[in-house]
Amino acid sequence: MRVRTCGAALLGAVTWSSILAAQAADPPRPPVDVYTLKNFLPIGPPAPLPVSKVPDFSGDWAAGAGGFGQSLSAADPGGRMRGKEPDIPYQPWALEYTMKQNPPTGPDAKFEVTTDPNIHTCEPLGLGRIFMYPGKMRFIQTAEAVYILHEVGPVYRVVWLNTKHPDDPDPQYWGHSIGWYENDDTLVVDTIGVNDRSWLDQLGHPKTEKFHFIERYKRLDGQTMTVDMTVDDPGAYTKPWPGKRNFAKSTTGFLRYQWVCSVRDNYEHYDKVGRAGNTGETTFKK
Amino acid sequence: MKNILSIALALAVLLGAGSLLAHHGGNLYDTTKAVVLNKARITKFEWGTPHNQIYFDVTSDKGEMQHWVASTEPAGVMLERGWTRRSLKDGDIVTVYIYAAKNGATVGNLQKIVMADGKELTTQGPLQGAEGAAR
Repeated sequence: MRVRTCGAALLGAVTWSSILAAQAADPPRPPVDVYTLKNFLPIGPPAPLPVSKVPDFSGDWAAGAGGFGQSLSAADPGGRMRGKEPDIPYQPWALEYTMKQNPPTGPDAKFEVTTDPNIHTCEPLGLGRIFMYPGKMRFIQTAEAVYILHEVGPVYRVVWLNTKHPDDPDPQYWGHSIGWYENDDTLVVDTIGVNDRSWLDQLGHPKTEKFHFIERYKRLDGQTMTVDMTVDDPGAYTKPWPGKRNFAKSTTGFLRYQWVCSVRDNYEHYDKVGRAGNTGETTFKK
Repeated sequence: MKNILSIALALAVLLGAGSLLAHHGGNLYDTTKAVVLNKARITKFEWGTPHNQIYFDVTSDKGEMQHWVASTEPAGVMLERGWTRRSLKDGDIVTVYIYAAKNGATVGNLQKIVMADGKELTTQGPLQGAEGAAR
């Protein structure tokens, strides 16, 4: 067993290098320095900070009506209009980038030649895409911060309450998030300082380091919650655009199985299940 | 309730409905009908991420032994659907319903397993606690 596993790992290592080299070849990039751009929407809370009760988001929330889908686009959550979504205002390079990607799932799936950075190298799913997976989330609300726990990863985010972003945050996978409550029923999460290494969703929509993401969580009733998202990224899109997901309350327990990303497991899954149904190749083909 | 289910169904269609598209080979398998494989003998059950894998042998109509592998959603999702890592064991004789590869390969997306005692292990359904929800 150990020999077989090591052999697989060695084969994988050899394959990764060639794949990564191929992936690095001439990827479309923003034509300008994104740091010179101004976001379309105000960053951070309105001033003065609104007075609001603290709504209760306790419990576990599973992908519910509205599902996890493929695309962050509110108009095309199933991913059937990739590149032609009526609500995604692509810049030319972002459209080119998207259409050059090979999604791992969905109507345009090309698993055998996927360019998905999460599958090849387990790049974290990041904001937006974390909602494309059928894992639950849990909120831990404190006076200082809201901790959002995701089964997928598993990963947690810290949403610092009633404060400001740092002036020049280091770009990282999950960025820097601040939050506040509004209208007695909504948690607003405002994030900047995100790097450009993760896709926005399963389809490969890009983001840049100018990415600004707004999430508005609201409980619709005792059993359902919705999050309305806004992508504000002047480096990739010509105006803000919306995303939306719904969640249903779950009572079956949290994190009963840790949904960890393992490159070895990804490749073994493809090698055992995918290849025969795809190309007959024994590893990903680029 | 009926309306909720209707909406759920509509949303399911809108989204491409369920686990099929969460699988990587969604457009590589014949999803118009499940192939039924009788007297399948489980040879290995891999429980985990990114997907579970179920290996089994079937004797074809021509008397040839076929080695199959079927995939399901990952372990965490299958727990919600009543599976555990002990749901299958080597040597179990079962009936397998599978969306098989269009190219004739003996792989595919599992739909259902019927155990020898008639108990069913299905791969479909919302997360438990999400009644009326479509994915």
